[in-house]
Amino acid sequence: MKGLLKGLGVTFKTMTSKKVTYKYPDVPLEMPDRFRGIQYFEPDKCIVCNQCAKICPTECLTLTGKPNPDPEKKGKVIDTFDINFELCILCDLCTEVCPTEAVVMTNNFELAAYSRDDLFKNKEWLYENNNHIRKENNSAMTTRGGVKKDV
Amino acid sequence: MIRTEELLLNVGPQHPSTHGVFRIVVKLDGEVIKEATPVMGYLHRGTEKLAEDLNYTQIIPYTDRMDYVSAMTNNYVLVDAVEKMMQLEIPERAEFLRLIVMELQRLASHMVWWGTYLLDIGAMSPFLYAFRDREIIIDLFNELCGARLTYNYMRVGGVKWDAPTGWIDKVREFIPYMKKKLVEYDNLVSGNEIFLQRIIGVGKYDAQTAIDYGLSGANLRCTGVNWDLRKNEPYSIYDRFDFDVPLGTNGDCYDRYVIRMEEMRQTLRILEQAIEQFPKDGEIMGKVPRVIRPPAGEIYARIESPRGEIGAYIVSKGKAEPYRLKFRRPSFVNLQILPKLLVGETMTNLITILGGVDIVVGEVDC
Amino acid sequence: MGAWLQESLTWTNFAIFLAWSIVFLFIVLGFVTYAIYYERKVIGWMQGRIGPNRVGPFGLFQTVADILKLLIKEDTIPRKADRWLFILAPVITYVPAFAVLVTIPYTNSLYFTDLNVGLLYYGALSCISTIGIILGGWASNNKYSLLGGMRSAAQMISYEIPLVISVVGVIMVSGSLSLRTIVNGQGDAFWQWNFLPQIIGFVVFIIAAVSELNRTPFDLPEAESELVAGYHVEYSGFRFAFFMLAEYVYMFAIASLTTVLFLGGWHAPLPFLTFIPGVIWFILKFTFCVFFLFWLRATMPRIRVDQLMSFGWKVLLPLSLLNVFITAIYMELFIK
Repeated sequence: MKGLLKGLGVTFKTMTSKKVTYKYPDVPLEMPDRFRGIQYFEPDKCIVCNQCAKICPTECLTLTGKPNPDPEKKGKVIDTFDINFELCILCDLCTEVCPTEAVVMTNNFELAAYSRDDLFKNKEWLYENNNHIRKENNSAMTTRGGVKKDV
Repeated sequence: MIRTEELLLNVGPQHPSTHGVFRIVVKLDGEVIKEATPVMGYLHRGTEKLAEDLNYTQIIPYTDRMDYVSAMTNNYVLVDAVEKMMQLEIPERAEFLRLIVMELQRLASHMVWWGTYLLDIGAMSPFLYAFRDREIIIDLFNELCGARLTYNYMRVGGVKWDAPTGWIDKVREFIPYMKKKLVEYDNLVSGNEIFLQRIIGVGKYDAQTAIDYGLSGANLRCTGVNWDLRKNEPYSIYDRFDFDVPLGTNGDCYDRYVIRMEEMRQTLRILEQAIEQFPKDGEIMGKVPRVIRPPAGEIYARIESPRGEIGAYIVSKGKAEPYRLKFRRPSFVNLQILPKLLVGETMTNLITILGGVDIVVGEVDC
Repeated sequence: MGAWLQESLTWTNFAIFLAWSIVFLFIVLGFVTYAIYYERKVIGWMQGRIGPNRVGPFGLFQTVADILKLLIKEDTIPRKADRWLFILAPVITYVPAFAVLVTIPYTNSLYFTDLNVGLLYYGALSCISTIGIILGGWASNNKYSLLGGMRSAAQMISYEIPLVISVVGVIMVSGSLSLRTIVNGQGDAFWQWNFLPQIIGFVVFIIAAVSELNRTPFDLPEAESELVAGYHVEYSGFRFAFFMLAEYVYMFAIASLTTVLFLGGWHAPLPFLTFIPGVIWFILKFTFCVFFLFWLRATMPRIRVDQLMSFGWKVLLPLSLLNVFITAIYMELFIK
């Protein structure tokens, strides 16, 4: 009997306590800086090293390069860069390996769409996804200890 | 002449209390179970096979999704196995960060268990209380590694992120808060006579049976077997901390409940000490070769996850990908005793026993 | 209103009765709508949540929207179900729930009928609902609902008996089965109410009543974590709404009955508070009873079926019998 009354006491006390519900759709959620959301991609920085496509555990990321239109310069520039968000698990590995920070995470996470096709995002879309870009990128692996990047 | 027949009932895969897509086929006589056959595999994703084509860094996000309630310990068991194989040195600060997140994860996992167990038994509030407080841990993780459930935090040789400024202080503030909440949990539930009547003496087995079935974690310790890998085979830096391993005597659901509640308190004790000793600065990544290629050979590393002994068995042929990777998942192994336990119990006890085992279907089916 | 009942049944009187019962039906429906809202709010607050807040101001129209959804939903009857019984079951459950309300007096003048066997009528009619639940469970041709229906049968029978016997003490003290007389037997001060002298009866009554209502901790027939939804697994839309409605109308009835039998009905708790009209006191006490049910639901886990039975037969029944004896001895010694 004592246990039952104690339990009733706890619920009664909670009744007047502060509510913890997020007012989410009305008030946007503030995610911490490190939050891994939809990637932002900056084509100018990309050197088409293909590391992101190689590290991707779900193979959701595909990219192709083309020769640099400026004949003076060597190397390739990015032609297509697509992320399939049906597959992407936002594991952060692509941004981790990117040597030039061409692909970085943002804090945006709202991806819901009515069609699966809408989840296939190309270079232009990812470039426009340019708000809430993560400030702290390429994490510990480049700056501290060890050899740079363990791909 | 009255004809009677057994009632064949499919509990699951869509059922509110099978914690996901788990299914048990039971034969009922009235409400008494005559035979129970668990059917698994509805959430099978082939993690182990997929891993054979992935390098070790890529496997880490897959381990997150195995036991999604306790992703940190899963992360750890994989990197621990690889590190042992490669004999890597882990920096002190990284070890501390790993330990802190693993213990926070244990706390979060036990809270999920506590909430859902009470929900199974019919009380609604504990579930929301537990999730309210777990949210704080999840937010801490979110701040640390940018995800709320699938952390992908540990790396071979260290951890991905250093603790952000003020993070350690937040954990320090969380500990007294959680202590207060644990008292509230006890007041709400642990003394409730209806609840005690439901779990005392239900789902009993003895130590020998538990060992025979390969049970681990609270499911083993409730029979009085003192086996906690944090004490018996200290990994990481657990040997530096002072904590007790709670043991039961009867091997029933009540003992399992008490053990898990006590484990939460012990976890807070470990966290307190770890925060106290947390190194001021230091590396968070050890010296790791550019490409992780463990030498040819095999290894089995095991740690104490919130659910029991989780182990990773790696066969390496010296390549960047494992030749074979096998996870010993505690949820899967702990479930094997179910057909034996359920015979003769009622429908109601089925839920009590299944909940008491503490399974996560992602881990059962892997 | 009692005066009308004494007159002969003319078409005018019949029309008046009909109009009143329709008015009352809407009052009850309004109660159910806002009882559900109130329940969700209270439980939400007790769990650190806000509760419904999306539809209308403070979510006041949430239940209205829910009911609307249920009404316009497709009516499904499983092909292998026993069609007629399946259709009949919600009706059988609901009709007695509404019919029992007729005996309850709200104030000394506001009541529908003053049956001299009011309590007996209540007990007899509320049993019929059980049949509806069993039928619904059986006719659905679903194993979960069958188990739920069987549990319900066992539970209702075992708890109906202590429920009725626990009020025998009250009947003895007031010497009448008429609910109005019972309330008039209690005074304008809380120590004159029945719940103090009849404390054993009161406790047994509360427990048995919660069980009769199929509410936590006795919600075994619909135990959602074991039997998915118990006897109404296969019901949807309008028919499901009737089961729901019956449950909440019974809540209305039980809360009123508790108020009438044990908490002094429309009487004020202290003599100097009598200037406040009786109906306010009735509503206050009634609201408290309803709140108590919600409070229990927010706190308690579910009892197990075998424990439920043994608790009913081995604890509640002897206790209620004991209460009868104690009351008898007390009356013999002091009142006679």
